[in-house]
Amino acid sequence: MKRDTDRKISVEDLLRLKRAERPPAEFWATFESEIRSKQLSAIVNRRPWWDGISRVVWAIYRHPVPVGAAAALALAYMGVRYSGGTTGAVAAARASAAKPVAVAAPAARAVARPAAHPEATGFSAREAAPEHAHVVAATESHITRAPVAVAAEPSPRSPFADGIVITFSDVRELAPDYPQRAVFGSDREFEPASTPARAPKSDPLAGLDPAAERRARLLAPALPAYASGTARAVAGDWMKTRASSNERMYESMDQGSSDRMLVGFRF
Amino acid sequence: MNASKTIEKTLVASPERKLEADADLAIVRQVQAGDVAAFDRLIVKYRERVLGIIYNMTSNREDASDLTQDAFIKAFQSIHRFQGQASFFTWLYRIAVNSTLSHLRRNRLRSFFSLETIREEDPVSREVIDALTDKTGAGRDAFVRELQEKLNDAMQKLSINHRTVVTLFEIDGLSHQEIADIMECSVGTVRSRLHYAKQLLQAELQPYLLK
Repeated sequence: MKRDTDRKISVEDLLRLKRAERPPAEFWATFESEIRSKQLSAIVNRRPWWDGISRVVWAIYRHPVPVGAAAALALAYMGVRYSGGTTGAVAAARASAAKPVAVAAPAARAVARPAAHPEATGFSAREAAPEHAHVVAATESHITRAPVAVAAEPSPRSPFADGIVITFSDVRELAPDYPQRAVFGSDREFEPASTPARAPKSDPLAGLDPAAERRARLLAPALPAYASGTARAVAGDWMKTRASSNERMYESMDQGSSDRMLVGFRF
Repeated sequence: MNASKTIEKTLVASPERKLEADADLAIVRQVQAGDVAAFDRLIVKYRERVLGIIYNMTSNREDASDLTQDAFIKAFQSIHRFQGQASFFTWLYRIAVNSTLSHLRRNRLRSFFSLETIREEDPVSREVIDALTDKTGAGRDAFVRELQEKLNDAMQKLSINHRTVVTLFEIDGLSHQEIADIMECSVGTVRSRLHYAKQLLQAELQPYLLK
């Protein structure tokens, strides 16, 4: 290896040798023919389906803000549309549910009244309310008696609504003055017309004289009159009372499990 | 003054490049309008440079040839997406570099090197070889061959990103900004990679360096 001290050779100079590396001329002839065939096949052949996905991903990557805004708008539109559809469906369902109740009220009344006074009205419940005849036969109440006839075709109305209406009409029949009396039709709806009479509060210990009782209890065994029936009765009463209170306490203690004890207080 | 000129040269693309970019854009517009044959002009114009980059990154002629063709075909297929925000040259380089990086990552363990012939018509190359050896004939060719292998070995010891930066800057002569655009990183990253890569190359090629 020759060492020329006048010429400095650096890394950059060595790398310039790589710049001078060139393929032979025949290489380019082959290269050109190959690239032309590839270019033609790229023109003729259709792109694979996943290329579209890569384009979409690339578009999202390049334009995240517009794509995100469009996605948010689409989601908002779908949400509004979906919730609007639900609201409409609910409203329709409510309307369909409310309609039979409104219709059922007079019909049910017609069902109940002939049952209560069949001879007075003179027409049957089936004639008055044919749409309800399959649910409840003309009886006093659907609660006390089971439905007799059930039609093959199901009713569009809720049976609970029918039941409530019929029960309501039954109550009105049995107590016609009840609505005027307390609950229904009152001007002061939330204030009861008459307050139920309550017993005055009484102190359970008010009737007791603890001092006298204690004195009697302590003196009873010592006094000669203990033998008398009065003193013995007083002492016996106290013992019974204490024993009964202890029993009550032990009864109220419920052994819930092996490791803990539940205590319930009775008042 | 000289230092500032050097910095400007490494950061800003030259006016020739801008003229070149305008000419390329005109050709691209023709291709986008449906003139497929116009793309051949772009192939002929850039094939040597693209091949040189890929060859210096892979150190394999066959792989470089295939990857160069693939890069041109990808550019041709995606030419409708080219908006002209960057120059066609930068866009094509980005496609070529990304394809090569993917290829190198896929075939990390495979390494078949093949050497191209150094054209000693280049005065700088001849001067370097003359400074390194006084042999002539077969001995000189053997020395050049050995030097090429050492250079390839040293380049392959670099990471893919460092190798790419060295190739684009030292061999292809791109500016820091252009490399940053192609590799989609910052100019600082390009400088850092270049500095580190040169240190490694200097350590590897120490026997061939004359101070």
